[in-house]
This record gives sequence, structure tokens and C-alpha cells, in this order.
Amino acid sequence: MTNQTNLSPEASINTIHSTISQAQTSMYLAGTTSIFLIWGALSAIGFLADFAIANLASDFSDDNPWFRAPLWATIIVIGMIASSIVGSRASKQLADPSTARRTGLKVFAFWLTVGIAALTIPGLSGLWTAPDPGQHIAGVAIGIVALGHILFGLFTRIVISILGIGIAIAYYVPAHFAGDAAYPITAVLVLILVAASAIWLKKNGIQ
Amino acid sequence: MTDTQPIVLNETIHQPTRLRIMTLLVSQPGPARLTYGFIQDNLSLTGGNLTTHLRKLEDANYLQITKEFHNNKPRTWIEATNTGRKAFADYYANLQKILNLNPKTSND
Repeated sequence: MTNQTNLSPEASINTIHSTISQAQTSMYLAGTTSIFLIWGALSAIGFLADFAIANLASDFSDDNPWFRAPLWATIIVIGMIASSIVGSRASKQLADPSTARRTGLKVFAFWLTVGIAALTIPGLSGLWTAPDPGQHIAGVAIGIVALGHILFGLFTRIVISILGIGIAIAYYVPAHFAGDAAYPITAVLVLILVAASAIWLKKNGIQ
Repeated sequence: MTDTQPIVLNETIHQPTRLRIMTLLVSQPGPARLTYGFIQDNLSLTGGNLTTHLRKLEDANYLQITKEFHNNKPRTWIEATNTGRKAFADYYANLQKILNLNPKTSND
């Protein structure tokens, strides 16, 4: 065998596999930094709007406790559309449209599943008609969203899994201990978590 | 090939940087193109280093480089040729043969 380097056959095989894995991860994470910031901002708006309606328009929220459903459905739909546009544009900076589309569709399908699950599972499990549905529905939906981050992070970058755990903590801890101030605290914590994750990803070469 | 003949690895590909470049290109399904920037970011290479290795691979007809303008901005696309894909497949097959012939290597 003749070659110009000290690369052993095993090292070559390892290099091939690690390069493929790294490239796939980069494709899956195209635009993630911006997408995180979009979702962080939207979530914070959602929690603050929820808090404002419940506390500043308590008559309305008492008469219409279902207001959270259209509020969060709107936020999720806006987030999905914005994420798709940002992710699509970012992936086209990396590869030609057909390759970018193949990867983008997989990522979109994953998060669409998470979004639909977060919206429908509370309904299918009867929480929409339960007493004081707001807290229960939000609790289940946040759990599903956090799980989505944990799973996605396991296959891409572990920082996304950590973000998922952070999202769960940012919601459940204030919900149990902060009373009426829980949602504003959650909004601030989510913004901090998302910004920290975005900075970490940016520093590690993910756009 | 008989057992007494040594398995020769393709020297153009069997260089760490060029191996990673070719891996990136051939691991994309079908005739897919990657941008220069994507390869540079993924492999953490300087522009000069990447260009040097791309030129060697292009000289071997393993890849094709195309420059296009997108929204008035230049963009360089890199694509593995059929020759390059075949050379990489042969290289990978030879690696596996070496590892199978000498299992101890895989434990080093």
C-alpha cells in the first residue's frame, strides 16, 4: 500500500462516517439559530399575552377560558410558517434545491408532528372540557414540545436536548411556585434559554 | 486480484482533507451539488487550503466546479462527477478489503 499520509484504513473509515454524520447534522440544523430566536420571541409573546388576558381582562378570560386555544394555535402556525421559510432559505445556501428540499421536508415533518401533537393530544385526552383546562393543556403541550427538542437534539446537537429540558423547567417550576407571576417568569426564562442556545450554536458553526 | 497482490488505495482520495471533501460530495443522494461555503464551514478549512484540494480533485476529474450568480451574488457549486463517485466507491471497497484481510488493524 502506498500513500502520502499516516491515515490508517480504520482511521479512513472513521473519517468517512464522521464526515457523513456531521454533514447531515449541518443540513438538519440549517437556519436553526434564527428559528430558535423566532420561537423564543413567539413563545414569550404567547406567555405574556396569556398572562395579560387572564389578569387585565379577567372578565373576558373567565367567560371565555378557551381563549388560549386560538392564541397558541395562532402562535404555532405563525412559528411553523416562519421556521419553514427561514429553514428553506438557509438550506439553499448549503446545497442545491433538491437536496435542500429532501432534508428540509424531514425536519419540517418532525416539527409538524410535534406541533400537531401539542395541539391535539390535550384535546383527544379530554382536557379541553376538563375543569380549569388552561393549566392542564399548557402543561401537556409544553411537555410534548420539550420532548420534541430532546429527541431532535439526540440526533443533531445535544444543546437542543438541553434546551428542551430547560423549556420544561422554565414552565413547570414557575407554574408550581410563582402563582400568577408564572407566565411572565416563564417568558423571560424561555427568552434567556433560547438566546443562550442560539449563541452556542452560532459559535459552533451552525447558522 | 490475487491474495499476493497488495491492495493499493487511491492516493488522490487517501489524503485526510480530500477524503472528507469527497465523502461530503458522494454522501449526497443523486446528482447533488454543495456550495463552497458549506464545504468550507463543515470541514473548518481556510479558503486557500480548500481551493488547493478542490483543484487536485478537479484535475483528477473527480468533481466539477461551477460558478453561478444568485441574487447578484457569486456562488460556487461543487459536484462529484460519475468518475469521482466510482473512484470513491472503489476506494471504500478497498478499505473494507484491507480491514477484512487484517482484522487486527481495526483494533489498533
